[in-house]
Amino acid sequence: MRAYFKFEFIQFMFNKKNIAVYVILLFFACFYALKIAPAYDPIEKVDREEIEARFLTREDFLNNVVLDENTYPLTRFAAAIYPEWNEYDKQRLDALAAGDMKKYAEATFNWYVYSDNMIFRNGKDILYYNSRYYTAGNLYATEDGHYAYMYSASRFDGYAKGDSNLSINVFEERTALQTLQRLLHSYLPLILLISCILFAADIVLKDKKNPSLIKGFPISVWRSLLVKGGVALTGSILTVIPLAVGFVIIAIRNGIGDLNLPVPVFSYKTKAFTTISMGEYLFQNALLILFWFFMLISLLLLVSIIVKNEFANLVAGCVVVFAEYYYYVRGLGYVKDIHWYPSSYVQVGQIIAGYREYLNNSVALTLKNGLLVMAVCTVICLLLTFIISNHRRYKLL
Amino acid sequence: MLELKNIGVNFSGRDILKEISITFQPGEIIGLVAPNGTGKSTLMNVIMNYLRPNSGKVVFNNGLEYSSKKNEVKIHQLVSMMPDQSDLYNHLSGRQHLKIYSSMWNSNPELIDSTIKALGMESYVNKKTGTYSLGMRQRLCFAMQIVSDTQIMLMDEVMNGLDPTQVEIISQMLVKKKAEGKTIIIASHLLENLEKYADRIFFVKNGSLDLIEDIYSDLGVNGNMVIRVKEGTEQLKEKLAKAFPELSIQLLASGVTLIDFPKNEADRLESISAFLSDNDKPEFSVGKMTLGDLYSKYYH
Repeated sequence: MRAYFKFEFIQFMFNKKNIAVYVILLFFACFYALKIAPAYDPIEKVDREEIEARFLTREDFLNNVVLDENTYPLTRFAAAIYPEWNEYDKQRLDALAAGDMKKYAEATFNWYVYSDNMIFRNGKDILYYNSRYYTAGNLYATEDGHYAYMYSASRFDGYAKGDSNLSINVFEERTALQTLQRLLHSYLPLILLISCILFAADIVLKDKKNPSLIKGFPISVWRSLLVKGGVALTGSILTVIPLAVGFVIIAIRNGIGDLNLPVPVFSYKTKAFTTISMGEYLFQNALLILFWFFMLISLLLLVSIIVKNEFANLVAGCVVVFAEYYYYVRGLGYVKDIHWYPSSYVQVGQIIAGYREYLNNSVALTLKNGLLVMAVCTVICLLLTFIISNHRRYKLL
Repeated sequence: MLELKNIGVNFSGRDILKEISITFQPGEIIGLVAPNGTGKSTLMNVIMNYLRPNSGKVVFNNGLEYSSKKNEVKIHQLVSMMPDQSDLYNHLSGRQHLKIYSSMWNSNPELIDSTIKALGMESYVNKKTGTYSLGMRQRLCFAMQIVSDTQIMLMDEVMNGLDPTQVEIISQMLVKKKAEGKTIIIASHLLENLEKYADRIFFVKNGSLDLIEDIYSDLGVNGNMVIRVKEGTEQLKEKLAKAFPELSIQLLASGVTLIDFPKNEADRLESISAFLSDNDKPEFSVGKMTLGDLYSKYYH
């Protein structure tokens, strides 16, 4: 087994397609680190001028407003809510002026809690979240703003209570670890899963090019498939190496961050955020991605021994990964058991962060269920592969 | 020990192998000779279980059969087949190929260097096989099988693309392996070379394995002499047949006319010689019937 693993691994590393995947990932990592990451413009940023402008406008309003029986109700409402709101903005400005990041985090936490409470609960259609949430065609702008404010509140609460070194880069989630967290929340899982599919698509069928060399090896088909799966898994895990180059570049520019930094996690059950540490968040992501790799590789091994066509492998892998795009509608989870579909767990970072629960109004799209679904699918695929490959008449080549 | 029991292979209603039953012993080199497409490779594929026979079974040491996948693995520890040179990994070196085979069969790693030396591969073994000539690739394939060090070795056209020196080196190596107790089955067209080291040589015809000694007897040519006439023609053959109706006369595809006659009738040589001179064919050779002559007669 060990010798066969070494043999397969050498072939894997010499495979031009696999080398191309690693090179593309390296290019992507460098391009992202050098071009895209520096241009990141978060909605919830530390913008002293914006805070000051808002504070001064409201301060001016509060200084000049006359409240009597003729005052318009909305003016009365503004006069009632602005003092506390402005107090938080003032604390934020003072903290920034003093360079006291802890105090800024505390004040910002209070600001987000208060703002969300005002906008979402008391000021619907009167007060608005940051205007950048209200993009054309977004029917869920208020919900997005609500999620972002709750998320930010939880995040800043974590910063205020934690021991991590705080900075503007940390507040704007620009450090290397936070950039990784943001990427896991968007396209990084897809990139990793597609890489895994590309690695596994030909791991069995490449042997068709060298049959007489391999057919007589003293190893059973089942064991050779397990080794091939192991090699594809190792290769998929090794994608972290080219991606790490981008991570290092961002770390040099914006700092590495801290594994104790808080990462907010939403629970649909409590309709509230709690925080976990960055280390735990990354571990949970890695775990679910690893289970995804298990599932995809076992599926592709099964398709390889049945259909014996690389294109069929690519199609099967891509269908599983991209199927969510065919059925996903925001809120669908409320009416359908999508938590039993493996493809519902493609957005790994969003699953861990609870964002998928929020989008689908579902309590079921959790890490635990994701691992369960992946494990069940993997076991089914491997069981079928075992039965077929051990059939006396079955020939792989 | 390798035993074939009533092996039958049938493709589209045509019998490729018919009820073959034979036993091959350790320390024996077996030669398989036949024109292309007569079943030599099929027989080897059956022994390796790459091809499931329609009837019969292959039995190895202690009654081991291809009855399960587990047994197949055990058997493949004992028996190996020489890889095809076109299947080599062009991006890997010869040495890497040898290491792969050595580690897969868990054989003595020292065999790698000793085989490289014995086959004179030192100058190129560390280069990628994509740069090798046909002969170099063939030598590497042979070396890979030697390095696997299995009890039974199957070799299909092992001498293909090799120069006479290399053929000699490999022949010597085969004899050495035989002395070590290996069972070696070789399919080859180099009949004279095969004759040097093979313990038993079989011709494959109509799905059967025919031992050459039996063929000599069956054809009544055991101990016969042969006259080989270069640049023979159909007319010459007809004239000879008319003049010597009791002799077996054959015109080969190479243009050689083959006349065989019993050794004890050597006096005929004079009359045949005179006949050939009269017919403007003074150049001919006389000798013992070789395996090549027998092959020509058998497959004529």
